[in-house]
Amino acid sequence: MVDTKKLKNEILKILEKKDVKHVICYTAGSYGFQTRPFFISKKEDIEKIIFSPLCLHNLSLYVNNNDEKKIGVVVKGCDSKSVVQLIQEKQLDRKKIIIIGIPCKGVIDPKKLREKISEPLEQVDVKEIKDKYIITFKDKKHEFNKKDLVFDKCLTCEHPTPIIYDVLIDEKIKPTGKEKYEQVKTFEKQTIDNKWKFWEEQFSKCIRCYACRNVCPICFCEECMAEQLNPQWLYRSVNISENTIWHIMRAFHLAGRCTGCGECERVCPMDIPLMLLNKKLEKEIKELYDYIPGTNPENIPLFAMYKPDDPGGDIK
Amino acid sequence: MVVKIMSEKFEPNILAFLCNWCSYAGADLAGTSRIQYSPNVKIIRVMCSGRVNPVFILNALQNGIDGVLIGGCHPGECHYETGNYLARRRITILKKLLEYIGIDSRRIKLTWVSASEGQKFADVINEYTAEIKKIGPIKKIVRRNEW
Repeated sequence: MVDTKKLKNEILKILEKKDVKHVICYTAGSYGFQTRPFFISKKEDIEKIIFSPLCLHNLSLYVNNNDEKKIGVVVKGCDSKSVVQLIQEKQLDRKKIIIIGIPCKGVIDPKKLREKISEPLEQVDVKEIKDKYIITFKDKKHEFNKKDLVFDKCLTCEHPTPIIYDVLIDEKIKPTGKEKYEQVKTFEKQTIDNKWKFWEEQFSKCIRCYACRNVCPICFCEECMAEQLNPQWLYRSVNISENTIWHIMRAFHLAGRCTGCGECERVCPMDIPLMLLNKKLEKEIKELYDYIPGTNPENIPLFAMYKPDDPGGDIK
Repeated sequence: MVVKIMSEKFEPNILAFLCNWCSYAGADLAGTSRIQYSPNVKIIRVMCSGRVNPVFILNALQNGIDGVLIGGCHPGECHYETGNYLARRRITILKKLLEYIGIDSRRIKLTWVSASEGQKFADVINEYTAEIKKIGPIKKIVRRNEW
């Protein structure tokens, strides 16, 4: 378990500085088991801060440099990759953000938890003991294996300790999983018609709410291609043609930029497996160009550079 | 009778984005040299193959184009020095993504034609037309006016 006391102390220290606007962290949500982002600027609110395996948001979404003052942000391992990516793309000034890193041992997927417990989830208390979660609510105790509850991304997490941080709460953790892209590899083996059949079904579910785009920390364009009117590349109508193009373009715009935080899939109201698309691109880019996004702020963006011996030498 | 013949023979629509400095000049040379090539191709001139935004290609496919050809200068010969290398990265990834979604990636083709290769341009167009004829018309993501 993360030492919440230490976290609160560190945040207090940051708030005492005069050039800090606020610190972005987590607090309990309106329903018992949910958490929500919390912008703390007054010291009195310090007791509201929490950190538990239920804190699943990627807070790097809310960081910006629009103000002259500094902004503090609490990041987990995967969130820190988004911050690195934003710094790389010159969206954030490293000097103007204070990063509080939390080595993370996985966060609970609410969808998986919902499958296991059908009762209303209120006043939930989660405890982490080695490989197990002990979830207590209304005097009832449930015990689950960690593997059954955490997000898929946590099972293959290679960066549990944040890559960049100013303050680190708790000690560094060594990664336990390794990304082998098994889901992607199995899907690739299917025939082209079966692939289309699968995606056609998935994409026809899409209602184009653009939640996936809005929640993505890397999707920061002022005017999105999807809402551009002159020229209008994408029609507003919801049908398989427009939906497919939307999803291809969304994935493509994130190629070499997506850090795999999985927020898009989490917020999707229609449960479209967006990470299956993102992971495919991540895999190809790793194999073809030996490039991993969100690991080094000094890297040049993938599509802004080239090597003369890139794959494709056989093009005539 | 006429209808029957038309339905049997599929004539593909091919769109070619040709770079101003090499491929377009190559096409011009093919024309001035009176080399015959397949009339299925419609050409759009762009200043560089690096100018071709993937959304152009997808939009073409949505509008019923069966194959999109992107022509640029040979690697190392780009007028803007890096444009064709950048296009190569982009198109490679786009093709991988389309294949994964279930759209035949042969519908997109990147090729290098220099200004002196009029014959090669004609050959590329003829080969590609034959290839697209084999694949058949695009049906999967064509935009239909449904309102």
